[in-house]
Amino acid sequence: MAQIEQSDKGKKKKGAQKKMSIHVDFTPMVDMNMLLITFFMLCTTMIKSQTLQITLPTNEKVDQTEMNKAKESEAITMIVTTERDAEGNIKKDENGKPKNIVYFYAGKPQLVGDAASGAIDDSNLEQAEFLGNEEGAARGIRKILHNRNKQVLEKIDKLKAQWRNKEFSTNKDMNDSIYQAKAKEVRNDSTLTRPVVVIKATPEASWESLIGALDEMQINQISRYQIDNMNHMDTLMIEAFKRKNNR
Amino acid sequence: MGKVKIKRKSTLIDMTAMSDVTVLLLTFFMLTSTFLQKEPVTVLTPSSVSEIKVPTANVAQVLVSPEGKVFISISGEADPNVAGGEWGSEQIRKEILRKAVSKYNELHPGKKVNLTEKDVDVFSKLGSFGVPFQALPSFLRMSQTEQDKVITDMKRSDVGIPIDDNKDLSKLNEFQIWMRAIYDSGNENLTSAMKKGEGIAVKADKDTPYSTVQHVLDNLQTLKMNRFSLMTALKTEND
Repeated sequence: MAQIEQSDKGKKKKGAQKKMSIHVDFTPMVDMNMLLITFFMLCTTMIKSQTLQITLPTNEKVDQTEMNKAKESEAITMIVTTERDAEGNIKKDENGKPKNIVYFYAGKPQLVGDAASGAIDDSNLEQAEFLGNEEGAARGIRKILHNRNKQVLEKIDKLKAQWRNKEFSTNKDMNDSIYQAKAKEVRNDSTLTRPVVVIKATPEASWESLIGALDEMQINQISRYQIDNMNHMDTLMIEAFKRKNNR
Repeated sequence: MGKVKIKRKSTLIDMTAMSDVTVLLLTFFMLTSTFLQKEPVTVLTPSSVSEIKVPTANVAQVLVSPEGKVFISISGEADPNVAGGEWGSEQIRKEILRKAVSKYNELHPGKKVNLTEKDVDVFSKLGSFGVPFQALPSFLRMSQTEQDKVITDMKRSDVGIPIDDNKDLSKLNEFQIWMRAIYDSGNENLTSAMKKGEGIAVKADKDTPYSTVQHVLDNLQTLKMNRFSLMTALKTEND
């Protein structure tokens, strides 16, 4: 292939030039190409980052009573926090995962003790962790949210099965968009009991833990959630919780 | 006895085919690659199950360093000739810089910032920027290596776009001036992307304290930019 053979078609003359073979060595060329490929491979970003879209409420003064209208039985407050050492570095557990903790309580805070003086002994605050699924079963805070949003999730699971079998349409894009629209309808169906989640984060909570909390909303198909600021009561409740558990 | 003659075989391997393949691969990588954006700080984004891709065109990316310093990078249309005007990254950056500086001069008549045509040109080629308005002229007149050195030094006080808790829309802080200028850039596609929440992407390291990022989110809320995207990496439900 890389040789060019010069032949003189059998007409051999005496003293004719010797058959010449021009051989081009491609090895350096390949070497160089490989280097270039390596360069481009390392420089490219093959995986584009993903985004999580959120909508925050406006900063304008919203009537507090309006905000608290959510039914008490549906409301659940999550407070995310991350354990840090004295230098502000995140503490890691045995598996090298950061120690992200989520406290939660359902409905209104129920306090034992004198709230006005800040001497709270106990509350309905509970602690959970962010855990991934194990063999398809939800764990940690995901399980708690899953149980609260069961009605919606059951319907969505049915839709998902239909979507997988392409029951909405044989066209892939049509199938996807119909599924998306139906899923959205279910998520916002006010006849079902759906939780309202208030997410709060302590100042030392890592960005990862807040994203984790928002992620749980996605996973559990919760359509009503908001990010709120910590108030004094929340801090007191966490303090009381830690005291109770001797930490 | 007949001697068995062992034919000597040449060990030369023909590399032409190999070369063909490598050239093809090279072409593929050259055409598909988008270079990594140079950023003042490398951040590891947290992961989420969301599968929405980050747009490459018409997006303003707000980068928050773990120290709380803010940087912005702007990309315009992928194809500069759509949307009725020339809205490629470079043109839109020029437009935004002019708008932002004139707004700043209007708010701070005592400390006007004057930029030459050349400064604007240099700015349009910057991937991400993050210096206060007052330091902008001297920053843009530096050589590229000096610029990189300044912008990656998180200990300097003149790095990062100044940001505070200002909630008063008549006295915008510098970050708010920039975001407002980006919103008012004149390219309708960018404005509508920002309205939909695709046009603003907030990127922060996963270990950054929430209080630091909240500062930026609060400022965006003040500007009534309530919808935006948070940059994340992909994970599955099992992690």
